[in-house]
Amino acid sequence: MIEYAARRLAGLLGVWFLAIVITFVAVQFVPGDPIMALLSDRSGDADLEARLRADYGLDRPLPVQFLDYLAHIADGTFGLSFRFANTTVFDVISGGLLISPILAITAILIAVPLGVVLGVFAAQRANSWADTAVILGLVSGISIPNFAMAAFLVYLLSIKWSVLPVAGWGTPQHLVMPVLILVIPPTAYVARLTRTYMLEVLQQDFVRTARAKGLRERLVIYRHALKNTFVPLLTTVGIIFGGLLSGTFVVETIFNIPGLGRLAIESIFARDYPVTMTIVLLFTMFYSIINLIVDLAYTALDPRIRLTNTKA
Amino acid sequence: MAAPSTSQTARPGSDFFLRFRRSRNAMIGSVIVAFVVLMALFGPLLTPHDPVKVNVLASWRAPDSTHWMGTDALGRDVFSRIVLGGRVSLIVSMSVLAVTLTIGTVLGMCAAYFGGWVDALVMRTVDIIFAFPELIFAILVAAVLGPGTLTVIIALSMVWWPGIARLTRSLVLGLRHEMFIEAAIVSGTPAHKIMRRHFLPNIVAPLIVRASIGVGFIIMAEATLSFLGIGIQEPEPTWGAMIRDGLSQLRTDPHLALFASLALGITMIGFNLLGDGLRDVLDPKVRN
Repeated sequence: MIEYAARRLAGLLGVWFLAIVITFVAVQFVPGDPIMALLSDRSGDADLEARLRADYGLDRPLPVQFLDYLAHIADGTFGLSFRFANTTVFDVISGGLLISPILAITAILIAVPLGVVLGVFAAQRANSWADTAVILGLVSGISIPNFAMAAFLVYLLSIKWSVLPVAGWGTPQHLVMPVLILVIPPTAYVARLTRTYMLEVLQQDFVRTARAKGLRERLVIYRHALKNTFVPLLTTVGIIFGGLLSGTFVVETIFNIPGLGRLAIESIFARDYPVTMTIVLLFTMFYSIINLIVDLAYTALDPRIRLTNTKA
Repeated sequence: MAAPSTSQTARPGSDFFLRFRRSRNAMIGSVIVAFVVLMALFGPLLTPHDPVKVNVLASWRAPDSTHWMGTDALGRDVFSRIVLGGRVSLIVSMSVLAVTLTIGTVLGMCAAYFGGWVDALVMRTVDIIFAFPELIFAILVAAVLGPGTLTVIIALSMVWWPGIARLTRSLVLGLRHEMFIEAAIVSGTPAHKIMRRHFLPNIVAPLIVRASIGVGFIIMAEATLSFLGIGIQEPEPTWGAMIRDGLSQLRTDPHLALFASLALGITMIGFNLLGDGLRDVLDPKVRN
């Protein structure tokens, strides 16, 4: 198990390095010269141009620039912003650094338990009207993109009934709508999976045995059957988290939330590529850490996987 | 060789339509999808308005008998734009599917068939792309290439082909040691022929399921990029951009955001139901 964890950790570092390479290479493909964009109306000023190129390290050969990039990631400044003069990328992103992860983590903490409860509810009533209604809701929840959902919810909750603020950040009320919109798709996804897994588990012999010995249905469901759906559910947490991180880009844009997702999009329009790439890199690193934790968790939980992974 | 035991193997697709009709998901989904496709093809005949014609004097009209879904900030007819937006969505998703199915199956088959460094190269590339959250990788590509229809197609193709390649590889690996493949190899059939004649027909069904589920994802991703402003650009109408424009006007003129969201939501539900239905019908694992 420890050997497996060590191997996965080494793999994680490899993925980070490749992600760094990809973001570096991506910036090289961006059309146009960032220094000329910075100079704009003073584009004839050769001295200034040379100084700016030196400041950004763009006068050096590419391999050296890559080492600079690595060094700036290592020291936590992430280089200089193209949009704000004499400002490191870290200073640009530090204000909203935690907002997107907090939104994503809050959403997943609500979505998973809620989805499991809904899924069990539907599975217990398989093929009834309640089940069909839940399934219909789940398909809509999975299908309708978050910004389309936002249009309906903002219209109803903020404009028609004025129970929640339209946009903004700072009070608990401002948190409700963005989290609600982030929560719906993963809840529906988890509920649908839980329903499928539960229906499978409920047909197995040990469930019949539990029922036959007169155990109350609630205990059969929650103590015996549900436990067996946890490992397959756990394996999907990584995918859900990736969706939530992407979702913060949309939700922060809609509700004017000063997080990294909105900043990344703003920086694309401002051609501030160091900021965009840093945010993409940070989100990818965060995503890979979550995936690693998930993999280690279900390896530890399921003896079958644990044994094969350790042997392999 | 003895004749294979008759009826079941003789016509493998014979009960497809029967099972398809019995699947509620597949039926509802295909009705919605058929409606969306028909609207995209013939919808423009229903409306007398030009979807890109600007008329600032008629901006933000509420829905009435001339403009069924009202007008937008530039006085353009929302219904015409939604119909055309559907066409744009479908064209983009079909292009992405064509590109990714081609690249994904070819690379996946090569990886599985040749193994060695070909396999390593393809699968490590797949792993790297999988390391990024899907949409964030698409945003990265779109940021580099600059907005536009071609950008969206390239960005979404780059995100979507690895899944096809990985699926193809695992399917082909499963077939690799089947008798008819071994027979083809020892009789000296060239690799490209083995792939086309023997592998491809045997992996089509799961690929169709994957593709039909993919359409939903691609439409959603295109709409998201356009919503964020880094996808398809004006004057080309897209549902994502229409929802963005409508959201800022939700208090006074909600019709734009609501109708565009409705169109996108219903289309997504249709494709997802169809995908689920096809999976139930075609995937032998979930078949009872």
